[in-house]
Amino acid sequence: MVKRLALTRRIDEDAAKRRLQRLGANACEPAWVGLWAAALGMPGGATGAWLLCTKEMRRALLLVGAELPFNAQEPRTGVHIDSGLPPTPEALKRLWLWERMATPRHWRIQVQDSVPTPLWLPCWLGYAPGRQHRLLVISGLSGEPLPMLKSMVLKGLLQAHQKQQLSEVSE
Amino acid sequence: MEGFTLFDTVVLIGYISLIAWIGSRFGKDQHNPEDYFLGGRKIPGWAIGLSVMATQASAITFIGAPGWGFEGGLERLVTFINVPLAMIVLILVLVPIFHRAGIYSIYELLERRFGPATRTLSALLFLVARGLATGVVLYAPALVLAVVTGWSVNLTIIIMAVLAISYTVMGGISAVIWTDVVQMFVLWLGALLSIFFLVTSLPGGWGDVFSFGAASGMFNAIDLSFDPSVTYSLWAGLFGGFFLHVAYFGTDQSQIQRVLSSPSVLDAQRSLLIGGYLLIPQMLLFLFIGVILATYYQQHGLTPPEDLNELLPRYVVSAFPSGMAGLVIAGVFAAAMSSLDSALNSLSAVTVRDFYSRYIKPNASDAHYLKASRVATVFWGLYATLFAFFAGNLGPVIEAVNQIGSWFYGALLGTFLLAIFSHRSNARGAMAGLITGMLSVWAVSALLDISWLYNNTVGVAVSMSVGYLVSLTAPAPSHDQLSDVMMSEAAPDMQAVLAARADNAQAIGKEARLTRRRCIGLFAWFCIMLGMLALLQGWANG
Repeated sequence: MVKRLALTRRIDEDAAKRRLQRLGANACEPAWVGLWAAALGMPGGATGAWLLCTKEMRRALLLVGAELPFNAQEPRTGVHIDSGLPPTPEALKRLWLWERMATPRHWRIQVQDSVPTPLWLPCWLGYAPGRQHRLLVISGLSGEPLPMLKSMVLKGLLQAHQKQQLSEVSE
Repeated sequence: MEGFTLFDTVVLIGYISLIAWIGSRFGKDQHNPEDYFLGGRKIPGWAIGLSVMATQASAITFIGAPGWGFEGGLERLVTFINVPLAMIVLILVLVPIFHRAGIYSIYELLERRFGPATRTLSALLFLVARGLATGVVLYAPALVLAVVTGWSVNLTIIIMAVLAISYTVMGGISAVIWTDVVQMFVLWLGALLSIFFLVTSLPGGWGDVFSFGAASGMFNAIDLSFDPSVTYSLWAGLFGGFFLHVAYFGTDQSQIQRVLSSPSVLDAQRSLLIGGYLLIPQMLLFLFIGVILATYYQQHGLTPPEDLNELLPRYVVSAFPSGMAGLVIAGVFAAAMSSLDSALNSLSAVTVRDFYSRYIKPNASDAHYLKASRVATVFWGLYATLFAFFAGNLGPVIEAVNQIGSWFYGALLGTFLLAIFSHRSNARGAMAGLITGMLSVWAVSALLDISWLYNNTVGVAVSMSVGYLVSLTAPAPSHDQLSDVMMSEAAPDMQAVLAARADNAQAIGKEARLTRRRCIGLFAWFCIMLGMLALLQGWANG
């Protein structure tokens, strides 16, 4: 099995707190979300960006850069969300086709022929109080809100919670 | 009166060539693919917002709004006074749901919520309505070309259609946000210069404008009449225009496309904020030009052209110094091309995604879909051209665009609101609501004497109430069908998990919500604008 590498967290705790505070959160924690990355580039040219997704995601995330900013160390602190399945190369290509249709200036960029790379995307989770608790997910690379990851993160948090309860019962 | 000189023609061709060169240099032939993606992110938010405004309305505003102002003074500003409030609804309700759902076309949300028939019908309505409105957008630069060259409008429509379709099929130039920003400034410069030349040509200057405007009631922007047949009453603007703009900016794929393509919800909000703050001042500027033109025509004893859309282009060509007229006319051209490009692109994208790839050829290659999207672009270009021939009969172009939308978009907005707010509504109700909503708009327009601004309100009210009542005759939707419109964390077990995690997570401190601040800012702006209009009206009426 291919080892899942972790991308370097660029948004530190203070910056994440500031960003999440603006979105209404009153508590935060680091997280790692398991995704697969497919290389994007001009036909026959170098890689210029990466499409990040799982089989379940309806739209992929776009990560710009020739190289994936990997961290040599294993991610330790933070909850690991690994509830997604790997996308097929055909599904990735079709996903990119619709992205290109929606943004015509991306038309010349294509998915390059290679196996999608499994990786850990660093994120920060924010918890917003109110009549109901709300979850906020921001990227640990850019600080942008990532609402499209919410359902996957919620599923992962629920699984983590159930696993923890099971282990407590068995102890 | 210099007319459109050879130098103007050189400037016109030079400007359009320069914009095209910048587009092809920075938009298409990049050797480094990172620039394709980073292009938009290196540019400040205000430039992106201006670019959105340039795509939305600049050319038809330049041509249509002075005609409005000439005819009715500032009374029609109430049509736009509600824009900040409409943007608040978009920011708070529609944009977060569209973004979270991860959709390319907003009609996909209706399929997940109500099934394929609702998506197909709503996408079809968009195609019909936007195709017709694109005809009006095509008519606007053709009219300018006709005024400049003296050729017939129909001939210039055909020339413009050929130019716009070829330009869109080749890829357009909308890739470069800065060119949109330049166009926006050229148009505003044209407007400010028009004001300068017009006012300096009046013996009493601004005094003449204000006394003529006040004497002829042109500063009466706020009409408090409760009579629904008064087209531009404050209530029509608030209760009718509000739904018009929520529907226009929220359910028209060509408008919401950029919001869906924004990297994040906050970016999407920012582009809506710029529209929310700038649309009223921009309309005020162009309506005011109409008032000044009315003063000018009255003082010089001139007869206005039969088609009031020609007012400002005619004035620019006749009064501006050689070269400057060419620049402003070129700005109108380039801005119209940008709007046409974006409208034709969204029409062809919806045709391919919502129809062709679903019903005709589901698993074709990328190259095949590219070809299909080009054929669709040509088809919608021809459809718009046919309608453009009749656009001159619809009055001021800016009103024509909004009226066309209001036949369809009210019912469409009602269906979206039903999908979001009523968790009991289902496919049967949505279809019934959508169809009866539209029919009721047509019936009300034909049978009752009420302001067209209420069309969207009627569409929303009927489609929501009929949709809800008919939904009661069929089973409630499943949990899966509601997943896009419900807070995914609302389930009790999920709330317990989140509460536990929040307790163990790092505390942040006092909250300061950005979205709330942005919405309060828009509401304050609405109050300031309304207050200023009331003051102006109070002054004009002594």
